[in-house]
Amino acid sequence: MMNYTRRFMLGVAAAALTLTSMPAMAQDYPSKPVTLVVSYAAGGGTDAIARIFAARLETALGGRVIVENRPGAAANIGTDVVAKAQPDGYTLLIGNQGPMVVNPHIFRLRNDPAETLDPIAMIADAQLVVVAGPSLKVDSMQALLDKARESQLVYGSAGNASASHVATLLLGQTAEVKLKHVPYKGAGPAINDLLGGHVDFMVTTVPSVIGLIQDGTLKALAVTGKDRFPGLPDVPTVAEAALPTYSATAWYGLLGPKGLPQEVRDKLAAATQEALADPAFIESLNKDGGVPSDLVGQDFAGFMAAERARWGEVVKAADIKVE
Amino acid sequence: MMAVLEHLGLGLAVAFTLQNILFCFIGCLIGTLVGVLPGVGPVATISILLPVTLSLDPTGALIMLAGIYYGAQYGGSTTAILVNIPGEATAVVTAIDGHEMAKKGQAGLALGLAAIGSFIAGTVATVVIAALATPMTRLGLLFGPAEYFSLMIMGLVLAVVLAHGSLVKALAMIVAGVLLSCVGADMETGRERMTFDIYMLSDGIEFTVLAMGIFGFGEIFKNLADPEKRDVMRNRIGRLLPTLRELRENFGAILRGTGLGSVLGVLPGNGAILAPFASYALEKRLSDRPQDFGSGVPQAVSGPESANNAGAQTSFIPLLTLGIPPNAVMALMVGAMMIQGIVPGPQVIQNSPDLFWGLVASMWIGNLMLVVINLPLIGLWVKLLKVPYRLLFPAIVAFCCIGLFSISNDGAQVIMAGIMGLVGFALYKLQFEPAPLALGFVLGRLLEEKLRQALIISDGGMGTFVTSPLSAALLLIALGALAVAVLPSMRKSREEIFTEA
Repeated sequence: MMNYTRRFMLGVAAAALTLTSMPAMAQDYPSKPVTLVVSYAAGGGTDAIARIFAARLETALGGRVIVENRPGAAANIGTDVVAKAQPDGYTLLIGNQGPMVVNPHIFRLRNDPAETLDPIAMIADAQLVVVAGPSLKVDSMQALLDKARESQLVYGSAGNASASHVATLLLGQTAEVKLKHVPYKGAGPAINDLLGGHVDFMVTTVPSVIGLIQDGTLKALAVTGKDRFPGLPDVPTVAEAALPTYSATAWYGLLGPKGLPQEVRDKLAAATQEALADPAFIESLNKDGGVPSDLVGQDFAGFMAAERARWGEVVKAADIKVE
Repeated sequence: MMAVLEHLGLGLAVAFTLQNILFCFIGCLIGTLVGVLPGVGPVATISILLPVTLSLDPTGALIMLAGIYYGAQYGGSTTAILVNIPGEATAVVTAIDGHEMAKKGQAGLALGLAAIGSFIAGTVATVVIAALATPMTRLGLLFGPAEYFSLMIMGLVLAVVLAHGSLVKALAMIVAGVLLSCVGADMETGRERMTFDIYMLSDGIEFTVLAMGIFGFGEIFKNLADPEKRDVMRNRIGRLLPTLRELRENFGAILRGTGLGSVLGVLPGNGAILAPFASYALEKRLSDRPQDFGSGVPQAVSGPESANNAGAQTSFIPLLTLGIPPNAVMALMVGAMMIQGIVPGPQVIQNSPDLFWGLVASMWIGNLMLVVINLPLIGLWVKLLKVPYRLLFPAIVAFCCIGLFSISNDGAQVIMAGIMGLVGFALYKLQFEPAPLALGFVLGRLLEEKLRQALIISDGGMGTFVTSPLSAALLLIALGALAVAVLPSMRKSREEIFTEA
């Protein structure tokens, strides 16, 4: 009896200790530097956004935030690193459209982001722009699709399964035209071949072509989001111009390993919202064709699930699965 | 011509302000340092410094970042010559004869020629950018996938010329290099090839891992296995500066290298990589002692080094005139411009002429500074060789490991480079040349990429490579060069048979 009580008491004490210490830990968060994993090499678009975001998050959280680049395996390595980390809020991921909702349909993943990651908050939604090369001589989205019905058009993309690729796949499927895909390594070489007339058109990120659009070298036919892009006010959306149901955006969000304490999640979501209210941050997002998002927690998770289902169908219809 | 002078005048006025000279100097200094440290490349450095540039004035920021880029090209040759570690693909060629010269006690001469050649190349390339940026841009656009593929074929044929031993062994190394470049996910389907389910292989092998392993670690194994040869090299340092006669002998090589580099640098998708290889092949062909190439010929250092530097500089042309970055460093420059609110593209020249011409003029100033920074340092670098090897080699290994780890913050890359080091040592023992392997590896990726793209566009029709006049011409040159390379060796082997008989 004595023995039992002692053990029981010890158990209670231990439980009490854990119970009291757990929230205390979450309240102290962050008490050491937070690592923000980026699944791409330093220097890319996602890396740029992550670094600007990290600086704002530091101010909002009141602690160090360190960006760590873990590129590789079509951005799946970053997902793995964070999925395997302790769910204590000190290892977080900048997740974007490709690895979060497109890759699960294409690659054999070690860690499914939907099962191993906790979505915290969405950061930004960035639209893409449809541009026609100088040799194609079309001046509207409708004219491009008409031309594609006459003879098969060739489009370049920033790479297999990139936002640029899947957005064009969806375009072809929505318009019911067959298009020929030429993958490049990054947007740069693809734009070069677009200018040289080796490919006909391309769907790409706004910053990669904005200079050439403003100069008149490339014709912007449409933007891919639900609303027009403020930097190109005369360019209609694809939905306005030709295909009412069409919309495709690349997006960025903050995620952590599955099982983050609720208080840490709330703290991070609030800090993200605070960072996103900074006008300088909004301006740099705008330059990338992006707008800040207000999706937090379950709403962000719901958005990701819907995106995953949607792109799953596009990928399936295009038959680009890797065995 | 007047307009060009006027523009350069404007540029020099912008670049010669105290502030911009300072930025240029800082950039060149940082660039030289990261170039000398094996593995720490300009890409990592510039991306780390990018947030810092936010608070700077745009022209100053770009001048500094550009300085880091060409400064690193400069510093990279130092490591290639002294310790046979080419940190960048473009320094592979420099390592071949440059390191041989160092072993012969001519490290100072090799470094001096590299510095002077680079300066001349930089000066010419600056004028090329100022005068010919627009027509050069059009040339770059002519190169579609088919033309690019033929250019790579030509490059691979040139690789045969790199070898100074057996032709068959060189071919084997090139093929091995191309095969290694195929490791990783297929660009079109994403299917993994030759990755053996090893995760870190799914994006292919990093060039830095291959180069540092096979050249760097391989060289260390070699030196440890063979201590006597090394000591001979340590005891003889030689002159630091070339004589007038040596300069005259190298002047042609420097000019030819500059020309090749200037043209190839403009091509999209990092055409500048080909420049030093092409220059080496050309010098070997023009030399009256081609058999000495590979054992420390000065022209094999000065030519490729000039080509390398000219290419690094003219690769700014597509960035400045079209806003298209031809390589990773230029992509970062786009980022830097965007942060500053400058939209890269054709309108930069019109909207911000002071930035454009200031940057161009600063390149010339930067090249001058690099000579000033590097010539006095040559003595210091060469003294490094005097450090006892038991102290030097752990330091080299440590720096390599830091550089390798920083590629993707992953220890796996370090292990892989270690394995590559064993491969490099085995190749040395079996008397295979590693340089053709490195070239095959670098060109193999582009070769496959462009072949696939060209064939997708042509619906699988091989005719696309000969119907384009540019592509057909390049293939013809390749064919001709191959014939020239193969015929003498056939003749020679016949002669050998006859003498034995």
